[in-house]
Amino acid sequence: MRILLVEDDPMIGEAIQGALKDASYTPDWVQNGLVALTALQAQHYDLVLLDLGLPGKDGLEVLSSIRGQNNPVPLLIITARDNLEDRLRGLDDGADDYLLKPFEMAELLARMRAVLRRHGGNASSRLDNGVVSLDLVSKEASTKDHPGVLLSSREFALLQALLIRPGAILSRSELEDRLYGWGNEVESNAVEFLIHGLRRKLGSHVIKNVRGMGWMVSKSA
Amino acid sequence: MDGFKKRLGESVQLRLSLALSSAILIIAVVAGVFAYVSAFDEAHDMQDDTLRQMAELFDRQHMTLQYPENGPEEDDESRIILQYLADGSKASGLDDAGTPLPFPTTLADGLSTVPIAGEAFRVLVKTTARGERIAVAQETGARDKDARASALRSVLPFLILLPVLLLVVGDLVRKVFRPIATLSSEIDRRDEQELHPIDEHHLPVEIRPFVVAINRLLHRVAQSMESQRRFVADAAHELRSPMTALSLQAERLAAADMSAPARERLEPLRRGIERSRNLIDQLLTLARVQSASGPAGATSVSVHDTYRRVLEDLMPLAELKQLDIGMDVGADVRVVMGDADLLTLVKNLVDNAIRYTPPGGRVDLSVTLENGAALLQVRDTGPGISSEERERVFDPFYRSLGNQASGSGLGLSIVKAIAERTGARIRLGFSDEQEQRGLCVSLWLAVSLPI
Repeated sequence: MRILLVEDDPMIGEAIQGALKDASYTPDWVQNGLVALTALQAQHYDLVLLDLGLPGKDGLEVLSSIRGQNNPVPLLIITARDNLEDRLRGLDDGADDYLLKPFEMAELLARMRAVLRRHGGNASSRLDNGVVSLDLVSKEASTKDHPGVLLSSREFALLQALLIRPGAILSRSELEDRLYGWGNEVESNAVEFLIHGLRRKLGSHVIKNVRGMGWMVSKSA
Repeated sequence: MDGFKKRLGESVQLRLSLALSSAILIIAVVAGVFAYVSAFDEAHDMQDDTLRQMAELFDRQHMTLQYPENGPEEDDESRIILQYLADGSKASGLDDAGTPLPFPTTLADGLSTVPIAGEAFRVLVKTTARGERIAVAQETGARDKDARASALRSVLPFLILLPVLLLVVGDLVRKVFRPIATLSSEIDRRDEQELHPIDEHHLPVEIRPFVVAINRLLHRVAQSMESQRRFVADAAHELRSPMTALSLQAERLAAADMSAPARERLEPLRRGIERSRNLIDQLLTLARVQSASGPAGATSVSVHDTYRRVLEDLMPLAELKQLDIGMDVGADVRVVMGDADLLTLVKNLVDNAIRYTPPGGRVDLSVTLENGAALLQVRDTGPGISSEERERVFDPFYRSLGNQASGSGLGLSIVKAIAERTGARIRLGFSDEQEQRGLCVSLWLAVSLPI
């Protein structure tokens, strides 16, 4: 997969380029905005990684030029600018995600995968957080110790709700909203009952309780 | 006494009051003495006039004298004696009813003071139209007494008005100096971030140049503080790029094939890089919260939502240490604060709690209403902070003695900077007061009223 990396800092550029190669991407690295625009016209890229603080042409200008040319290439901003305005402007101007320096390569790769998945349109048929994976078609959940566990439809819906955003804490009422449609009578303790069942099938570490707040599955390691 | 002299040298107000008071006192004394003396003389002149008028009256009416048989009955002190001068020689001596008095017959016409038997008399001798010489006399002692009394009456207003005048002067001086006192207390109330210029328009012309000079100094101080803050922010920002490169390279290195000892040495290296990254982040946050002014972007924020976002962020850290972290059951409270401010505040408190609580410990978050304010508490089962250290832990890079936790040392400074800027009150205590263990941070914030 061909990636355009726009980054003026040689040390960071080199590191990201190397890491992308390690992850079997094909990165082209340019160090200023004008060259980036030229490269985008000459070559098809699957993804652009764009730094904002660029010499010559600022990253945000590069971004609006790209989108001005109706180029829908997936684009991820990587920047040291942590103020809210730049972040909002970047996302408003058509960036797909915004990653703040310093970041870890694992996180960048995960965000890249997410952006590519969204653009590909073919939503993955699996949800995975590294601890448990859920097959959205067969409704089977798998952990290291319990592969291929068949779930009831309520258990499936609950685990799916948690796995959509690993690391997010969902309260009981939020989970009930996901489980029951309008007008359906909510049974008391239903959520606890389902979680108890899921833990018995998959191991108790799969779903974590945050006292007083709700439940979560761990963020991807 | 030395203290008083020092104060006198330092205080214009005291000097002015004292100088005015002494001037008034001296003038009042001089004027009083003068008034006394002139009133005294005036009284004597009037008494002399009385003697003259009596002699004149006697002469005009052609009266003849008859001495009373039984002497004077009433108070003889102030009486006026009228006699023929020649009769004086017949008088044997001086007894109480001793009239007529033994005046020497040689006295010339006119006024004179004559001592008779140890007492001084003021005598007017006059030769009448019939050729008799009469003497009108009065005791000088009595005269002086009357004169003194009338002189004192003329000085009396001075004596009464003097203290009143002193009080009035003191009060006036205080009033004149009041703008200065108000100004100093206004400046006193400012905290170190309030470097805006002093309003000089309502001040007396005399101290205005001084205030203008102070304003210029304030401006320069504000500029230098600002440039220092910018330096910290810029430096941290500049450090970010090499730090990012460094950590990315270390990450790549971890993925490469290497010998077991090399891998073993890589781990502390990565931890060091992680720690520096964290420090740079915290430095930037501190610079940001310090340079923002006022309760920026204050809105109504849900405390429960903020707790949840913070825990979602920090859960991996808590899981690593197997901490039981959670929130006390209770109703949500909305507070008035910037969204990002509250998040940064709570995050730093919870981060601290996680860092300093030993594995297997417990961290509790709670929010309640207390006297119309929102009380946010973060309690842990760590070692806590002794009361002697509670002031100092807010200083940047301060570390409790014997602490192994690898924080940036800036967390509580960030918390304090935000609290000061937004007017939040903060207090440190023990979670377990009896055992003196565990840190309990209490924060009081303004409750946002439902619209």
